[in-house]
Amino acid sequence: MLLQLNNIFKWVNSGGQRIFLLKDINLEVQEGEFISVMGPSGSGKSTLLNVIGMLDGFEEGEYTFLDEPVHSLKEKHRANLYKEYIGFVFQQYHLLDDLTVQENLEMPLLYKKIKGTERKAMVADMLDRFNIVGKKDLFPAQLSGGQQQLVGIARALISSPKLILADEPTGNLNSSQGEEIMALFKQLNDEGVTIIQVTHSEKNAAYGSRIINLLDGRMI
Amino acid sequence: MIKNYLKIAWRNLVKNKAYSIINVGGLALGMAVTLIIGLWLADELSHDNYFSQKDRMAQVLQSQTFNQNVGTGPAIPRPLEKALRDGYMDNFKYLIMSSWTNDLYLKFNETSISRPGNFMQREAPEYLELEILKGEKDGLREINSIMLSESTAEALFGKQDPIGKVVKASNQYDLMVTGVFKDLPYNNSFRDIDYLIPWDKYVSIQEWVKNAEDNWGNNSFQMFVQLADNVSMDQVSSIIKDVKKDLNEDTAEFNPQLFLLPMKDWYLRSNFENGKQVGGRIKYVWLFGVIGAFVLLLACINFMNLSTARSEKRAKEVGIRKSIGSQRNQLINQFLSESFLVVLFAFLMAIFIVVLSLTGFNELARKEIDFPWASTKFWLVSLGFVLFTSLLAGSYPALYLSSFRPVDVLKGTYQSGKYSGLPRKILVVLQFTVSVAFIIGTVIVMQQINFAKNRPVGYDREGLIQIPTFSQDFSGKTDLMRTEFLNSGAIVEMSTSSSPTTRIWSNRSGYTWEGKPEGFQEDLAWTEVSPEYAKSLNLKIVEGRDFSREFASDSMAVLINETAKRYLGMENPVGMLLKDDDTEDPDPPLKIIGVVEDMIAQSPYEPVKQGMYVFDRFDNFSYYNMRLNPNQSASRNIAVIEQVFKEHFPDIPFEYDFVDAEYAEKFAAEERVGTLSGIFTALAILISCLGLFGLTSFVAEQRTKEIGVRKVLGASVFNVWNMLSKDFLKLVTISCFIAVPISYYVMNGWLQEYPYRVILKWWIFALAMIGALGITMLTVSFQAIKAARSNPIKSLRTE
Repeated sequence: MLLQLNNIFKWVNSGGQRIFLLKDINLEVQEGEFISVMGPSGSGKSTLLNVIGMLDGFEEGEYTFLDEPVHSLKEKHRANLYKEYIGFVFQQYHLLDDLTVQENLEMPLLYKKIKGTERKAMVADMLDRFNIVGKKDLFPAQLSGGQQQLVGIARALISSPKLILADEPTGNLNSSQGEEIMALFKQLNDEGVTIIQVTHSEKNAAYGSRIINLLDGRMI
Repeated sequence: MIKNYLKIAWRNLVKNKAYSIINVGGLALGMAVTLIIGLWLADELSHDNYFSQKDRMAQVLQSQTFNQNVGTGPAIPRPLEKALRDGYMDNFKYLIMSSWTNDLYLKFNETSISRPGNFMQREAPEYLELEILKGEKDGLREINSIMLSESTAEALFGKQDPIGKVVKASNQYDLMVTGVFKDLPYNNSFRDIDYLIPWDKYVSIQEWVKNAEDNWGNNSFQMFVQLADNVSMDQVSSIIKDVKKDLNEDTAEFNPQLFLLPMKDWYLRSNFENGKQVGGRIKYVWLFGVIGAFVLLLACINFMNLSTARSEKRAKEVGIRKSIGSQRNQLINQFLSESFLVVLFAFLMAIFIVVLSLTGFNELARKEIDFPWASTKFWLVSLGFVLFTSLLAGSYPALYLSSFRPVDVLKGTYQSGKYSGLPRKILVVLQFTVSVAFIIGTVIVMQQINFAKNRPVGYDREGLIQIPTFSQDFSGKTDLMRTEFLNSGAIVEMSTSSSPTTRIWSNRSGYTWEGKPEGFQEDLAWTEVSPEYAKSLNLKIVEGRDFSREFASDSMAVLINETAKRYLGMENPVGMLLKDDDTEDPDPPLKIIGVVEDMIAQSPYEPVKQGMYVFDRFDNFSYYNMRLNPNQSASRNIAVIEQVFKEHFPDIPFEYDFVDAEYAEKFAAEERVGTLSGIFTALAILISCLGLFGLTSFVAEQRTKEIGVRKVLGASVFNVWNMLSKDFLKLVTISCFIAVPISYYVMNGWLQEYPYRVILKWWIFALAMIGALGITMLTVSFQAIKAARSNPIKSLRTE
């Protein structure tokens, strides 16, 4: 088992009222799963993803990731866990504008304090694998949306995470680009990477092995 | 990792050129000011560091009390030497008697020059650690010898070997050159010494010096000492304190107190007030130190403000980095390395600025500071300075930017909170408080200088020159020379005096007069003059009459000034006698024939000292004072005077000073402070405005959409300008209200040092405030109007 959420509650207080973002979420994710999270806007999809990705906290409940109790871990420990096992893919790609493709790919490795030569090799591998060697010295602004997202996925993959969290990865792409990306996810999943994606599209959700539906913060 | 940080930092700098120029440029200016002030401070504090024994060297000072007023100075009587050598010599390694540093005519063959120097005892070259280039160190052994500085030897002998050559001094006596020493560096208390002549020669050629051997009342000499190894300054000071008082009854009434002034205090802490050491130049060291620190702070504030103002732009980057695994301290490191890069850049630019402006600064500050390229210490300190500045400027942005939560900033919902701009506002207020305080300070310094400059001096200093006459050659020729000069048509009057017009060289006491209060200890400025003194200076006689050649009795006559009339308590001074109270061998009494208007001979910031102008019976004069012919150009007059002078004194170099220029020298120190603080103020304002300019452009950018919407709804350019400027004007107004009381307090304190001072007027403060607000308005308006005039459709579409 990769991760487990037990009775997760997340809320904010607004004007004396408690507004629930996540309500009593119970979820178990096995390694190798490909899960699609669906639901209307504001149903808590992204929040759930952020909680799983440890970018966001929660108010109540228990979160176990690879047998580590995330809810009681120290910030630093949590960051290490997260750096080691989780990769993020965003709708807006979120590449660093001031860095080239190659440098963007290198960034997570730098934070993992991997040595220079090894780093170079891993970046080269990744460029190769995604067929973007020719674009390695370009800046994000010089790439199309699909290419940027490709780099975004490559960056998420470079530290060989067990889990990829994708927040509407094809939301900003046209349909053919979107299909390519989804095919890539499918392929990654076949290679053993666990994927959790947030999506609005039934078609994209169909790539997954399981669909979770959210409404007003509740799983239905 | 560092490489990556620096790469990002570099690209950021290049991408935002305007921002970078403001940031790096402003910081560079600030650092340049701090560097220059730092170099100046180092120079001031290293004064006299030439001496390896600096900590053990001192001068003997004396405090005496006249009418409850304690006066302190380096002048000591001759018998003190014998007293100390006989009874206290185990406290000293060296004890050296010295004359004052006086100009002397030196002549070799046809070359005749005038140079300053001292008569000193034999161990002086050892004591002064002179570097002997030629001849011997013990060059003052023989009475008829002279040691010369390298530059003086070169001026006299050119390429010839000076050793063994005979020079004529003062056109009177021959001296053999026994040694040539390297010129002392400029930041040295003895730097003016170009010649050394044995003390014994001084005694043998000057009658009055010989006569002073046993005279405890003639305080006309200097004594320099170096302590023995086993004693401290304070110990010796307390040991010698009462030596004079105990040995001499006559002067005991003035309560003479002797003590040592350590060499480290000579330059920086040489002022005494009522017997207490009250600082001196050290106040300028503090003043400029504070200014330097503030200017740097202003530049750092710019950096902080611009960095945090740009936070919205950097927020996304922070979010991404955090989401791909960066920890907060890694981000802090990143931002700190960025600030280090910027500061390093600014530092290089600052060095460039400093190198360019050092010559000008040296001229202004009268320094000879070289850029210390080769000094390891300088570079180490600089490295520390760069690191410190990076931390100062970068820590706040680093902590602020790295605190963003990735979820917030990546979602795009990140909004700076209501108070996120507060620290920035506080910093702007701080900046302008400092700037406004600087403006007020500078204006007040300038006002004080002008106030003193406009003070009536009591005589007419325009078209008045003085010619030094430091040689016996001039004796007995005064009347002849006066006639010659008058006949040449270059002057309209001439007189002689024993001290220059702008100085008091001698003071006297020990008189009695009718109605002198019991126990009154008078202290009068003493100048010996020829009969035409008042006439040549255009000094007004307010009571009685001037000297006259018609009355033979005028040789024992004296003019006093108005202050002296009050000081001596005389209702009708004309005709009264000042009698010498020496019982054994009294001088004949002096008869007051007139009262002259007060003339400023000392500090223009202080009341005129009570003084007397005595008929010069023994040709004790040191200067010719000449009133130039107003109908001819000054240069023409000078040329004629030189010609006449050379005819009569071919062996004496012709030198002259314009009295008004000499008088202006009195303002030099204050004017330097005024000019420098003016420049620093201008830079401080420039730096603050640079920052404000940058901030406005960010605000305008941030509110582009709002401005667009408002314009579509019908806002005029003025409305928008008003909206953008209001906030900043508010901040600057707050600064003004903080700066005014602070600067009032500080400047009022500064003015208290000057008995003759300007009264602080409210309009100075009002003016500074209006000035600051005006400058702010200009700076802000440029961006505000630009934003207000932009096409709203464009700005709305880009959003």
